[in-house]
Amino acid sequence: MSAPLRGRILPYILVSPLVVFIGVLSFVPTVATTVEAFFRVMPLDPPNRFIGFGNFRALFANSVITTSWINTALYAAIGVVLSVVFGTVIAVALRRRFRFRGVILALVILPWALPAVVEAVIWSWIYNPTFGVMNSALHSAHAIGGYHLWLGLDRWLTIALIEVVQVWQITPLSALIILASLQAIPQELYEAAKVDGAGAVQQFFRISLPLIRSAVAVSIVEALVLSLNVFDQVYILNGIAPLGSSVMLQTYIQTFENLNFGGGYALSLLVTIATALVSLGALALLYRRTEAV
Amino acid sequence: MKNLRGPYPAGKKPYGSSRRAASVVLAAGLVALGTACGSSGGASSTSSSPKSITVAVAYPSPPAAELAQFTKETGIKVNWVNIGWDDLQTKIAAAAAANTYFADATDVDWSKVGEYQKTGWFYPLNKYFSMSALKPDMPQLDTFVSNGDLMGVPFDASFITTTVNTKDFAKAGIKTIPTTLPAFTAALKQVGTANHMANPLDIQLATAEGLSTCWYQMTAAFGGQVLTSADSPNFTSPTSPGYQAMSWMVNAYKSGLVPKANINTTDYDGFTTEMAKNRVAAALCDYSGSVGSIYNVASSSSVVNQTQYVSTPGASGVGLAVANPDGIGIPKTAKNVAGAVKFINWFTSTQNQATWAGLKGPKNVVSTFPLPDRLSSFNLLVKAGNINDASQLAAILRAHAQAPFPNGAPPWYVQFSAAVQTNIHEAAAGQETVAQATTAIASTVSQLKASG
Repeated sequence: MSAPLRGRILPYILVSPLVVFIGVLSFVPTVATTVEAFFRVMPLDPPNRFIGFGNFRALFANSVITTSWINTALYAAIGVVLSVVFGTVIAVALRRRFRFRGVILALVILPWALPAVVEAVIWSWIYNPTFGVMNSALHSAHAIGGYHLWLGLDRWLTIALIEVVQVWQITPLSALIILASLQAIPQELYEAAKVDGAGAVQQFFRISLPLIRSAVAVSIVEALVLSLNVFDQVYILNGIAPLGSSVMLQTYIQTFENLNFGGGYALSLLVTIATALVSLGALALLYRRTEAV
Repeated sequence: MKNLRGPYPAGKKPYGSSRRAASVVLAAGLVALGTACGSSGGASSTSSSPKSITVAVAYPSPPAAELAQFTKETGIKVNWVNIGWDDLQTKIAAAAAANTYFADATDVDWSKVGEYQKTGWFYPLNKYFSMSALKPDMPQLDTFVSNGDLMGVPFDASFITTTVNTKDFAKAGIKTIPTTLPAFTAALKQVGTANHMANPLDIQLATAEGLSTCWYQMTAAFGGQVLTSADSPNFTSPTSPGYQAMSWMVNAYKSGLVPKANINTTDYDGFTTEMAKNRVAAALCDYSGSVGSIYNVASSSSVVNQTQYVSTPGASGVGLAVANPDGIGIPKTAKNVAGAVKFINWFTSTQNQATWAGLKGPKNVVSTFPLPDRLSSFNLLVKAGNINDASQLAAILRAHAQAPFPNGAPPWYVQFSAAVQTNIHEAAAGQETVAQATTAIASTVSQLKASG
């Protein structure tokens, strides 16, 4: 074999184990899930049989599941906006070197490193209506007259407070992605802008923001994927109550609690399609704009 | 069902992984792959190794020396896998649906008995164990029987009970715990005032299995069961025990007897922490075993030697206690059925059940083990005098522990329980009335029965 030919084949040989691994663990189950989404697969009602779009029709006729779609859309909207905004603010604040920057960076990363279950348990104590820090702080600041039960009574408030926990967890990753991008911007650009009389705000909007758009796009996709798949925080803070239920929680309930595997596959498929479409849409939009800058 | 034992329900053990969402999709995909591949996995049963078995339960292993003794007696090596309760239930369903081997003996929760009987995922154990011989010694055996099939053998005894802080009650001048709910309610108000406790009673009201179980228990306290022997609703009439129990629970919350946070406390640890930190003076629907394993643990409890079990107060006297044991069975995909039968016999024997509970001292105890499943084991412990309140617990077990449902848990129990949790929770939160809640649950039962 000639050296050029060997050079062309080598990369394929090197990536082939990974391709096989991903194929077995991801692609094949995805195909199987897609096929079985069109079958009635219920161990309590055998045998398995083809029902076309029956599972999908049943899902859309189920008010708890339609509610969970709306809830999930809200989780995603709040999650993306807040995590990207806070991530950008944190990244800008940490762009320049200063004393204890490393320590602060480590503290910022901490919520991302913690398991979601642990975070949800911590926040359940913060929201505790009898002795939670949130009640205590608001009461001390005279913002509320008495201690409140925050979760489980009002749908929108419950969703907002659960999403706060999710944002707390995913913001560090956005901050890191954006910080890496910020640090790649040449310092000369800022110095030139300064000479031209640009202030900090102008520097951010005229220099930083256009040049970190790709990183922001990646952060948005990351936040979208995590928010659309939110599970632990909802389950720990709200149980299985429909009030704040997410689609991923419903997928679990359909599949492993109700043993309606066909319905679970159909819902998994819909979540996958929704996640892929929204993520690809966000990427396409933002990357195009980046190129236009 | 114990799905409340940890951040997440038996139960709900601090259940759950931090990347659960991804696991759900991956597990669903893998199950789909398994079902799509047909029944090829079932052939694995012919390749069994008679020299070992895998036991997968949400339980710590017995001491290594005891397992070694089993191996010495039978020649079978035990591979013990301790998995969180929630994850184990998912694994059982996924493996069964995909017809794939994962264990020779595994957890059979009482709530899954009807499901396993109908799906055929587990072997009925009737031909391996004599129900008539076991029944007199195992009062909770019925909990694992569905349509005459013994789907599992209890490997501990547990029941729902009430715990009280006797010091708090004494401070209010109450030396004898009332046996009726009206008197108990009045006493709690006195206790709250005397101890400056805003909310002296612990009840689970979050959307978790503990809430369903509590309703069954309170219904038993009012003298009934929530389903009839034909699995029909038995709680829609305002005079029925189920309706009255739900009303009492909702009123207890709305009147401030129960801490506000209980509506969102989904894990059992959070529930028992209230009692352990002396923020409440009584816990209804507590598990037998909590006093020794939680409230008397000095490192995490401030009520050591202050709590005791009492029979749950009822409408007009002491109520029945609902059984809540753990069981072990043999999945159809097991490779070594004979070995699994030998293990279950050994694990649930009179001597070993007493050993797990402390007969031979702390070295041989299985941690978190609540109570022995056999009365004969209790006799050994009472004789040895080395378990807290052994005679009291044995008396409750013998005379008062009843199965949650007259015909075993129905196949659609999980959906039923979800409806129960959701609707009682919403009634307590003021989002619907008790009448609406019972109607909604009854409607769910009708749909579930109609769909088979």
